[in-house]
This record gives sequence, C-alpha cells and structure tokens, in this order.
Amino acid sequence: MNTAMMSTLILNVLQGFFFGSGKAHVVTGVALIILAGIAWSLWRMDRRLTTLERDVNDSPS
Amino acid sequence: MQGGFHNAIRTAKTVAALEWRLEWRQGHQLASVGLFALSSVYVAFQAASRDVSPGAWTAMLWLVYLFSGFTAVGRLFDRERSSTRRYLQWTANPLGLMLGKLIHAILTTTALSAIVLCGFLLFLGWPGSDGHNVTLVILAAWLGGLSMTTTLVFVTAVASQIQTGGNTLGAILGLPLLLPQLILATRMTAGALQGTPWPMLSEIPLFLIALSAGTSVIACILFPYIWRA
Amino acid sequence: MSNWNALWKFGGILLLAYVIVRGFGTPLQPGLVEASPNRLAPGHAVLELTAVGQPFAQEGATPEGFTLVLRSGQDLIATQLTAVGPHGVSAAALIPDQVPSPALDAFLFTPESGTLFLGNAFFIEGAGIGPVPESFATTAPEDTAPQLGFSFPYQPNIIESIRNLLWHVPMWFAMFFVMGIGFVASLGQLRTGDARWDHRAEAAVRTGLVFGLLGLATGSLWARWTWGAWWVSDPQLNGALVTVLLYTGYLILRAAMGDDERVGRLAAVYNVFAFVMLVILLMVLPRYTESLHPGKDGNPGFNSYDLDNSLRAVFYPAVIGWGALCYWMYTLRLRMNRLEHRLLTK
Repeated sequence: MNTAMMSTLILNVLQGFFFGSGKAHVVTGVALIILAGIAWSLWRMDRRLTTLERDVNDSPS
Repeated sequence: MQGGFHNAIRTAKTVAALEWRLEWRQGHQLASVGLFALSSVYVAFQAASRDVSPGAWTAMLWLVYLFSGFTAVGRLFDRERSSTRRYLQWTANPLGLMLGKLIHAILTTTALSAIVLCGFLLFLGWPGSDGHNVTLVILAAWLGGLSMTTTLVFVTAVASQIQTGGNTLGAILGLPLLLPQLILATRMTAGALQGTPWPMLSEIPLFLIALSAGTSVIACILFPYIWRA
Repeated sequence: MSNWNALWKFGGILLLAYVIVRGFGTPLQPGLVEASPNRLAPGHAVLELTAVGQPFAQEGATPEGFTLVLRSGQDLIATQLTAVGPHGVSAAALIPDQVPSPALDAFLFTPESGTLFLGNAFFIEGAGIGPVPESFATTAPEDTAPQLGFSFPYQPNIIESIRNLLWHVPMWFAMFFVMGIGFVASLGQLRTGDARWDHRAEAAVRTGLVFGLLGLATGSLWARWTWGAWWVSDPQLNGALVTVLLYTGYLILRAAMGDDERVGRLAAVYNVFAFVMLVILLMVLPRYTESLHPGKDGNPGFNSYDLDNSLRAVFYPAVIGWGALCYWMYTLRLRMNRLEHRLLTK
C-alpha cells in the first residue's frame, strides 16, 4: 500500500511536472522522431524495391 | 483421395495392426521408451526421495512424461522415410495412414501413461498428505498424454518430411504447441493430488478432450497434403 | 509508384503521428486512488484520500467547492474537508457507532471535475448494524457536470498507462489481421500449389510476428505497471505467448527446409494448423476461463475501458494507423519475396 501511495504522490507531482516542465512534450517528440525514422526506412525500402522491380521487368533475360 | 472413407478405415486398421505387429516382433520401441521413462523416474527419485510436495511431484511427472512422449512419437514416421517403404505405401490411403498412426500412438500413450504413473508411485509414492483423488490423477495423466500425443503425431508428420534434422525439429516445433495442454494437465494433476473438489476441475478434461479431438481432426485433414510428395 | 499508393502509406504514418501527439498530450481525468487509514473506529477520524488529476496538482488549493461524502448502504455520512493539495484531500469525520454496512464508499464532489468515486474506501470496525443516526448523516450535494474538455478517462490501477491502449491493442489487431491474410494464403497454396500464395503466407507471418512481439512487449510493460509483474500465468497471456512461439516455429521450419521445393506446401500445412490454434487459444479458450486480462467477459476488449468519446477519437485512428503500417510492411516483404523468386527462377 505504501508503494502505491508513493507512486501516486510521484504521479501527481509528475502531472504538474509532466505538463508544466514539458516532459510530455519530450516523450511525444521522441516517439515522433522514432516514427519518422521508421517511416523513412520503409519508404527507402519501398523505393529500392520499385527500382529493382523495374529493372527486372525491363531486362527479362 | 482414393477409394473414399471405407478404404480409409480399412487402411487404418491395416496400418495400426502392422505397427503393433512390428512392435511385438522388433519389440524395442515401446520397451526402449519404457526404459527411458523408468530411468527418468529413478533420477527423479534420487533427486527428491519420497519427500515431495504435490507441486514438485506434478512437475517431475509431466517433465518425464513429456520427454518420454517425444521419444515415443518422435520415431513414428521414421519408417516412412525409407524409399522402398514409401513405394509400397504409395497406394495406401493417406487418411487411413494417419488414422492408423494416431490409433497406434494413442495405444502407446495409454501404455506409457501406465508405465510412468506406476513408476512414480513405486518410487516416489503419493506426495504430501492424503486427500489425493486416484481416479482423477489417472484421468489427468491419460488425457494429458492423449492431447500431447495427438499434437506430436501431427508435428512429427510435418517434420519427417525434412531430410536432415527432422527429429529434433519435431521436438522444437512441438514444444510450444504442447504448452496449453501441459498447463491444463499439470493444473488438473496438481489439483487431483491435493484433493481439489471435482467441480473446480471439471472443465479441464473437457478442454483436453476437445484439444485432442481438434488436433486429430486437423491432422487427418491436413496429412494428405503433407503426404503428397 | 502511383500516388494512391503513397497516399495510404503516408496517411497511415500521419494518423500514427496524430495518435502520438494526442495520445501523450491529452491530460487524464482526475480520480481517487486510495484511502487511508483503511480501518476506522466509531468516533473522530482523520481521513486521507490520495488523488490524481488537475484539481489536486496545484500546491495550496482551497477546499472551497469540494465536498467529501461517505456512503454506507444508502445512507451518507458527512465529513469536513481540511486540505486539498497535490497528495489529494484530507478530511475530518465523525464516524457513527451504527451503520447499514461496514464498507464505506467515498464520493468527492469537485467544482470543475464532477464527482469522483472510490469504492470500499474505508471499513468500520466495532460498529453495530443499523441506519446512520441523524447527527452524523448528510445529504448529497448537487452533482455538477464535469468541465474536463478533451481528456482520457481515469481507471483505477491503470491511471496514466491508459495511453498504452493506443499501442498494445491495435498491435494485436494488426497481427490478427495479417495472420488472417496468411491463413487465406496458405489455404490457397494448398489448393492450387501456386508459389505466389506461398510468398504471401511467408510475408504475412513474418510481419505478423513483429507485431505479435510488439504486442507482448507493450503488454508486459502494462502488466508491470498495473499488476506489478512483468508476466503472470494467465490463459490470455499464455495463449499469446504460445501463438508467437508457434509462428516462430513456422519460420524455423522454413529455414530448416532451405531450398527444398516442398517448403511451400509443408509450411502452408503448418500455417493452417497454427492459425486454427491461434483462434482457439486467443479467442475461444480465454472466454471460458477466468483471466486477469481486461475485457474477458466475452468481449475482445472494446468495452473494457468504457471507451470515452475522447479515447475513441484517438483509438480508432490508432487501429487504422497501425493497421496501415502493418500492411505496408507486409507489402514490402511480399515484393521482396516475389523479386527473390523471379531472380532465382530465371
């Protein structure tokens, strides 16, 4: 029970902290950066595959 | 499928009978598994002596049973690899073949569960204090073994098609598939050993039977595709 | 690369960006977490209720406009709020020596956040059973409508981690979706033997496995926060683990067979089996057994959090976004398989 109270105490402080000092923004920012990274690597793979497919189609021998 | 269902039944009986006869002639398959099982039980006995809690007893029982099961079923499809045999059985109905293997495996499991259980009782006795439900323990061992075996038969069938390392692969593939059955079976065994009332355990045998039946059905449906080389 | 193609792919990414921003940026509604001391004796008592949320986050808020009422059975007991602060609220109360029920629920009426509730907050020891005497009783103040704006609902134990709903659940949905594609592909492979079905099946399982592992990871994090353990032996969790192991087995099977031309058929057989087991283990079995996992009263989890409108506004885009991402990864793998096949069979 004590740890729960401790954690909620921290939580509450966190809440003011989180939004007040911009911690929520940090987490959001990091997540967005990771998402952008994933999107970029997928896009790169996509484009490379398209190029490869075109090559294979154009020169069937 | 050639010949339809009737043909399948006939093939099944032939295959099952063939396996049993070979069993008695060569004699080493069930005997070797039995030996493996009893030796494992003896190791367990050495490790734990007779002072075992129901939980530890259950764990050891099922581990021994699991590995004995692997050994017993693992070589079920070995004979099918040899090319002459394959030729001979080219005309056999695959559904019948699978049914025959399943029946043989079920009979083997029944024998195996008896061996393992008796071994445990002989060396380790009943764990903990009284209050164990003997019929439920036997039922748990048999049903658990049944569901294990049906799954293993299917997995071994798939793995036997692989040229190299098929046997170990069967075990690797089979183990995750066996987790649900093992969880259910161990829960039922531990409960039966501690005298948990029947209503609390009653759904487990149903699940085990359902799982066994479902696995057998899928195995029979899918086996012709594996067999068609 | 046609424009429609790029549209759904980047549309999915944009949706996920929206989900991230909204998901982490939306504040949580306030709620009561805990009460202390749990056991009360009749007479004077000093109560502490820990609470989370905006009304309590500031230092030095006044008890003005807040009312705390304890309910036993149908009767209400008055309290005197002494402080409202980051820890929650403190109050003084006179506990009567007879109550309809020894379990007390706490209702905190707040000026802007509506009514907060904590069930079975206190237990009275040493009181008789009977209606609450006049001098201790009170009537409930008016229920004010909460003016909370766009905010996520408060759920006990879960509190802030409700944001995980936007990751964990859509990931499992995506896995189901793509494994379903794999299942259909394997059936097609068995029926026609066309290698193109095999490419689809392999791509589907590979992608689905990624999302299954992510689902397990997010679930484990969530379990650590809410249940206190990284893993528990629970039908739903066991089923999920076995499913992931099963599909890993599929990939191992394919790897072990190497270039054997029967790979396709054998793998398809195994995949059909694996999918049937998945359905049984994750959708049928957990409904008939007790499980800690949320949403196990017959529903896969849509109603488990009484999805707020604000949550819905972010959850549905999350499902679509993760689904689109999953499908994109699937198509990439599929194209790789096809290319490989073409290059090898020239």
